[in-house]
Amino acid sequence: MTEGQRAAAEAAAQLAAGEADEPVILNAPEPDTRRVYIQDPAHFAAVTQQFVIDGDTGRVIGMTDGGFLPHPVAAEDGSFFAQASTVFERIARGKRTDYVEVFDPVTFLPIADIELPDAPRFLVGTYQWMNALTPDNKNLLFYQFSPAPAVGVVDLENQQFDRMLDVPDCYHIFPASPTVFYMNCRDGSLARVDFADGETDVTNTEVFHAENELLINHPAFSLRAGRLVWPTYTGKIFQADLTEDAASFREPFEALTEQERADGWRPGGWQQTAYHRPSDRIFLLVDQRDEWRHKTASRFVVVIDAATGERIAKLEMGHEIDSINVSQDAEPLLYGLSAGDKTLYIYDAESGEELRSVDQLGHGPQIITTHDMDA
Amino acid sequence: MPFPTKARTLLAAVAMALATASGALADKIELLDAAPEDALVVNIDKMKYETPEITIKAGDAVTWTNQEVMPHNVHFLAGVVADEAVKGTMLKKDESWSARFNEPGTYDYHCTPHPFMRGKVVVE
Repeated sequence: MTEGQRAAAEAAAQLAAGEADEPVILNAPEPDTRRVYIQDPAHFAAVTQQFVIDGDTGRVIGMTDGGFLPHPVAAEDGSFFAQASTVFERIARGKRTDYVEVFDPVTFLPIADIELPDAPRFLVGTYQWMNALTPDNKNLLFYQFSPAPAVGVVDLENQQFDRMLDVPDCYHIFPASPTVFYMNCRDGSLARVDFADGETDVTNTEVFHAENELLINHPAFSLRAGRLVWPTYTGKIFQADLTEDAASFREPFEALTEQERADGWRPGGWQQTAYHRPSDRIFLLVDQRDEWRHKTASRFVVVIDAATGERIAKLEMGHEIDSINVSQDAEPLLYGLSAGDKTLYIYDAESGEELRSVDQLGHGPQIITTHDMDA
Repeated sequence: MPFPTKARTLLAAVAMALATASGALADKIELLDAAPEDALVVNIDKMKYETPEITIKAGDAVTWTNQEVMPHNVHFLAGVVADEAVKGTMLKKDESWSARFNEPGTYDYHCTPHPFMRGKVVVE
């Protein structure tokens, strides 16, 4: 029985029993590890949507509106979700306002609306870790590209913009403690940025990849584990463990075999990488493609033991998948999002079996966010 | 398809910068529609301003010349050389942009699409 059929039968039974219809505003179920957020950048439209879905049942349980290329975040403990967004006074022109909105996770009502001075948001196709919450959920950090690299600190606790931090020529934000985060720099190193006590202290790690090893825009990162998983265009996987004190790099390995690479297998898509913290597994979207078709959809996911680099599975997705993520419970769901189909396909992450799907998710859905609620 | 000549590009650069600088421009910096012969030259190549720090005397002119096919410009933030930002037009290969600096001070600039390209003019 489909969800629509179930609701029809329920309404028919209520009608037969003489129960009156009392329209109300619904609350969403409490957040859990299988709640999944689908952000639709809508191919650069001036307004956008985010769909909130129960991965267990494949039901849309709510939606949020956003402006231009908003960036979604979700507190790992499920206590709230938020976004950094941009609106203009005349649809797509006129005075620009950048702001951060925080939403109650059950009512979806905005519980904070914090303006960001001088329109500092980096307007870019949404990269999952270009903005981030600190692990204590007290601050939201967002990136500014122009006129100079900087990271904005938004104090969620006091509902106010704090300050911009001057940073080197580095991109993305990976928090490792309430006041320390890391960025990936043009020179091939990570920057460690400590913004405690009103200061900004920046140091750089060693260079960890060569100039011709192109790291994709969509690394996976676990706020809870501090694990950063960063593939290249060829599927070489760099990993680092980020703590407040330092970044420790792991030995890189290849996600694809020599034979596969010789046969034209490469990663590709949008959010191409997922990391499952409890099992220490990496999921990577791959297919056979030309070197410079790295943003086209893929039809396969390789599953890799992050500790050994050993291949665990190669799953055939059955659809053109642009983005993946996983739920962070012990028996995870694998989410495969098709921007072309505007559909979220939900799989058993172990077997790769497609369990259910949710369609009509906007115009070009691309970003999948979850809560990592089992501390 | 018509292509703008070097002179037209420079004029457009000046017009654009003047339009955004609202009068305060003439004091600290004067945009020039041609490169003066005595101007100090900052070449731009390999994603860098080749002389990222240049020291000149008040009244001297500086000419930036792009040596590569990657377009670059010179962009002063609001409050640096004028109340408003001065955002030079993008220079294609072999195109130039010139300005005369009238007041002592240190003027930081960058390339608009390449914020990691930074330079400064020190006027003594």
